[in-house]
Parts: sequence; structure tokens; C-alpha cells
Amino acid sequence: MTIYKPEIAVIKKVEKLTVTESLFDLEFITGKNLGHRPGQFVELSIFGVGEAPISISSAPLEDPTFQLCVRKIGNVTTAMHGKKEGDKVGIRGPFGNGFDLGDFKGWDVLLIGAGLGLAPLRSLIWAVLNTRQEYGKVFIIHGARSPQLLLFKDELREWESRADVEFYSTVDVADESWHGHVGVISTLIPQVNFDPENTQAVIVGPPVVYKFIIRELKNRGMGDKNIWVDLERKMKCGVGKCGHCQINNVYVCQDGPVFRYDRIKNLPEAI
Amino acid sequence: MEKYLVSKGDFLNLINRLIKEGKEVVAPVKQENQANFRRIRSTDEILWGGPQTVISAKSFVFPPKEELLRYAIDDGINVQPKVEVKPLILLGVHPCDINGTSLLDKVFAERNLDENYLKRRENLTMIGVECLAPCSQESFCYRKDSVLPWDGFDLFLTDMGGNFFAEAGTKKGESLICSIAREATQTVSEKIRKIRRERDALFDREQRKLKPKLSDLPRLLKENYYSPVWAERGAKCFSCGSCNMVCPTCYCFDVRDCVELDLRHGNRSRWWDGCMLTDFTRVATGEIFREDRGARLRHRTYRKDYYLFEKWGKSFCTGCGRCGKACLTKIVDPLDIANEIYERSRSR
Repeated sequence: MTIYKPEIAVIKKVEKLTVTESLFDLEFITGKNLGHRPGQFVELSIFGVGEAPISISSAPLEDPTFQLCVRKIGNVTTAMHGKKEGDKVGIRGPFGNGFDLGDFKGWDVLLIGAGLGLAPLRSLIWAVLNTRQEYGKVFIIHGARSPQLLLFKDELREWESRADVEFYSTVDVADESWHGHVGVISTLIPQVNFDPENTQAVIVGPPVVYKFIIRELKNRGMGDKNIWVDLERKMKCGVGKCGHCQINNVYVCQDGPVFRYDRIKNLPEAI
Repeated sequence: MEKYLVSKGDFLNLINRLIKEGKEVVAPVKQENQANFRRIRSTDEILWGGPQTVISAKSFVFPPKEELLRYAIDDGINVQPKVEVKPLILLGVHPCDINGTSLLDKVFAERNLDENYLKRRENLTMIGVECLAPCSQESFCYRKDSVLPWDGFDLFLTDMGGNFFAEAGTKKGESLICSIAREATQTVSEKIRKIRRERDALFDREQRKLKPKLSDLPRLLKENYYSPVWAERGAKCFSCGSCNMVCPTCYCFDVRDCVELDLRHGNRSRWWDGCMLTDFTRVATGEIFREDRGARLRHRTYRKDYYLFEKWGKSFCTGCGRCGKACLTKIVDPLDIANEIYERSRSR
């Protein structure tokens, strides 16, 4: 068994979320559980096309099914979008450190997902909500470029309606269907009534958003040790060899993709 | 391990016998005005004491293209890992390349064992040869503590005229020559010490100087992250990646699928990749995380003399000089960069 050999998984269900994103339910043909933590990723193989790192979108469960939310954007993801229920793909992983729920238990948690960042964050959101009593207040903040690009709309509505969740959402550009906040996601932070002393914040989003959101959180008095980021890089091998995902001396695929901000803020290539 | 003396004639006969028996023996040979590792049919072909080979010995443990797995798609998908390795004797390897391989041994065995690399390594018999004169104008191995191998060889030969002084690094190396070698006497050891004293003096005289202390390189680089040197040199970089390709310690790789014409069979292979190439950090959204050429040059230099140096206690540049020679615009040489940064930081 080499570290580069994928295991075969079968697509159990495909759900179209937006024009470019679909949610794939997968199961290993061996029936084994993926056994992941929120924030971890897998290398998705389409044989004949290649591999791409995809974050795991479902919460860790006893169920052998796991979910990948895939944006059609590159070679592998475009090929994935051509797959249907019953088709087989390859999976290696889970890779990376992922979130340790122990870091958040007993705290208020501020979960910020920008754009496709909601896909990996969703795993953490459900992991938190599945053991809701272990946390203080739960804030969920989501932003998308437009209402059409909102992911997991049913779940967004569910979180919004829950009494034990404070939910905020925004779009960069509204249309007539949108009656909520308009503006980039960092403009929501001043509206959220969290206690910076008792809150752990998690940010997942495209590379551009981190510095703006972090600045807003710090403006509110949040310390670097209370901020967690989940970073995107080109994680080609997933096993700390190929070199593509490095941030300075750190292999994101091994030491990340989840980092506490104080541990990477001095890495100039990080944010 | 033991030190031996073996007559050159006996040693070369032994190698020729192994070749006749069908063993694959690879050594540096002359090709036009360059040296390259090639499979040899006779030891007469070997280029002793030549310039460094264009491509380093790493290509025999970490080939430029290597299949990782094969797959067949019918009703299901059948994936077979491919770790197919034949025994190989690599003869005439310079210390810079032995040390380069010894560094790769660390990284490929770290955390997730890379079976493809380790199997190749296991099947390789590494026979090094001491350089008694600098192999090229570009080399600076003496400045990188790399005129002798630290480890990673099975046998290491030093030319003593009619004989080789042979140091066995492993049991495999020892058993290879035990029938033709005799233990080195005190007198031989003294002669070797003299040869090496003279060799050191020659290298010290002829090789370019490293102005900072070798052990200070990680600190020097760390303190000069924002030095203008990166942008100035980077501005001349063609992003061709030649420095990465020829380096004995660069080990980054890309992974690609190749499909056969029937669209049902194919393989997944890894290919050498290079951090100096523009697309190295490019993701599917188009984002390039290290887009600036100066930043890429800094990253490459930091990998050699800061990040990995600090992590493993050894510089990941063994001073072979290949990158400096291959670089079209002469910006990449790690010794030049270290000296320039050192001079500039002193004059600040």
C-alpha cells in the first residue's frame, strides 16, 4: 500500500447547489468510514484526469457516507461534475490537521464562512450543532457574491431559524430577491454582538478575505489566539512531499490547513 | 565501517564481471563536452574526475518521471500501485551527490514513507569517488562541508595511484569488495590524511569563498527576508526552473495522469516540478500564491539554506554548482546570493 494509492468510492447522490457547485455523497466500496475531522480534506481522483484537494463538507458521523462540495473550476472538478450517481472515483485521505473541537468547547464560537469557504465550514458547523450543549453562543456568518451563489440554502434557513444560533448573512451584490445585508462579509463583523474575550472565531474563505476579516475582529478586541483560519493552497500530494502547498517553511497539507492565527501571523506568505 | 585498500585493476575487473553477469551499472561518461550518468558496458567508459554530470545522481532514486500507479477501468476501477525497481550500481558519484541523496533519504522517509523512493534507494548500490580537484568553476562544495560524504554511500573510493582507498559505508559495500580488498594499514591511512590535507588546501585556494560562516546562513537569510537582493535578482529570472531540475536536493514533484488510447487504461506518474516555475503554486481559481519571481528565488534559497538547514541540521545545498552553471542569467547561485546578502547587511 503506497501513500499515493487512492481507494475507490462510489457516488451515492449528486445534488446541484448552484450553477457551479454540486454536493456529492460518497462511500468507500469497502464500507469503511472516512474517519475525518472538520477542516480536513481528501485528494479526489478522477482516473485519467488527475487529483485535486477537496475539503470535506459533512460533519464526522458514524455513517460511512461523506460529502464533498465541488466547484466546477479545474480539470478534476469539471470531470467530477460529469459524474453521476453510481459512478466511481478515487479518494486518498483524510489529510491535514483539521479542527480540534476541544479548542472550542466551553467557548462562544463565531463561525465565518465566505463564499465556497462555507463548504468546509459546514463540517465544523454541524459538528458544533450536533453537540450544541458543549458550546456557549454560536454565531454563524456567511457571505456570497450574489444570492444565486448561496450554498446550502435549506441549511442557511435552518440555522437562521434556530433559537440557539445567531445567524448573519450578506451578499456582495443583491438582486430583487434579497432583502438582507449587502456588502462584503467583513462589513458584517461590526454588527455581530460577540464577546471577544470569550469567543473563538473561525474564518474559512478565499485568500482575499482573511486580512479584512481579521482586521475587523481585532478592531473588536479579539486576540490572535482566538482566531483560527483554514487556508487554501495547492495541495497536490497531501503527504508533505511535493512542495506545492508550502507557506514559507510550513506544509499546509500536513501542519494545516487549519492554523491558529498567532502561529502563522509571522509567516509573510500566509495571509 | 572498515577501511580497505583495493587494487584498481581488481576493482575494475570486479565491476566488469558484474556488468557481464547482467548487473546494471551506471557511471559518469563523457558526452560531447559534458558529463552524464549512463549505463556502461565496460569500466573503460567511465569519466573519472570529470565535471559534475548535467543531471545529478538524484535521478536514480527520484526519477524525472516515475509511475506511481496504473489503473484499468471496466465495470469497476482497478488501481495497482507500481513500485517496480531493479538493482542498480551507481559508480563514480561525487560527494556532493552522495550528500544530496542522503538529504533526500531524510525527507522521503519523514512522516509518510515514500515507498517508491525507499525501494529505489534500497536497490541502489552507491559507490562514490573522492574529488581530488574542483570539478568546475561553479562548484563550491568545500564551502558547504561537502567535499566528503557524510553518509549515504555503500563504498567510497579515493584514488591512490595504483590502488583505491575504499571506505565501506554499509555491509553491502563491504561484502562487494571483501574478496579483493585488504584492510588499510596505518601507513595508508596516513597517506590518505596527507592527500586530503592537500586536497583541502587546493579547494580552499580555487573555490569561491563563502563570506558568512556556513552555520550562520539560516540566521543571515532569516534576517534578510525583505532584502532588495530578491527583487533585483528575481527581475532577471526567466522562471525556467533549470536550477530546480539540476539540483541534487530539489525534490518537489507534480502528479499527472496519462491515459492510453483505449481510454480504459492509464497511469499516474510524478514528474519533477520546480518552485521557480510561475505555475508552481497556482490553484484552479487562477490564484498564484507565489507570483513574484523574487519571492520564488527567495523561497528556493530559503529551502536550501534556511528552512531545511534549520530543520535537519545540514544545508540542502551541497555546493555542486549545477544551478549556477545552468542559470541563464546567473542569478541563482546560492553562494553568490549569500555573499551579496552578507556584504549588503554589513554595509547597512
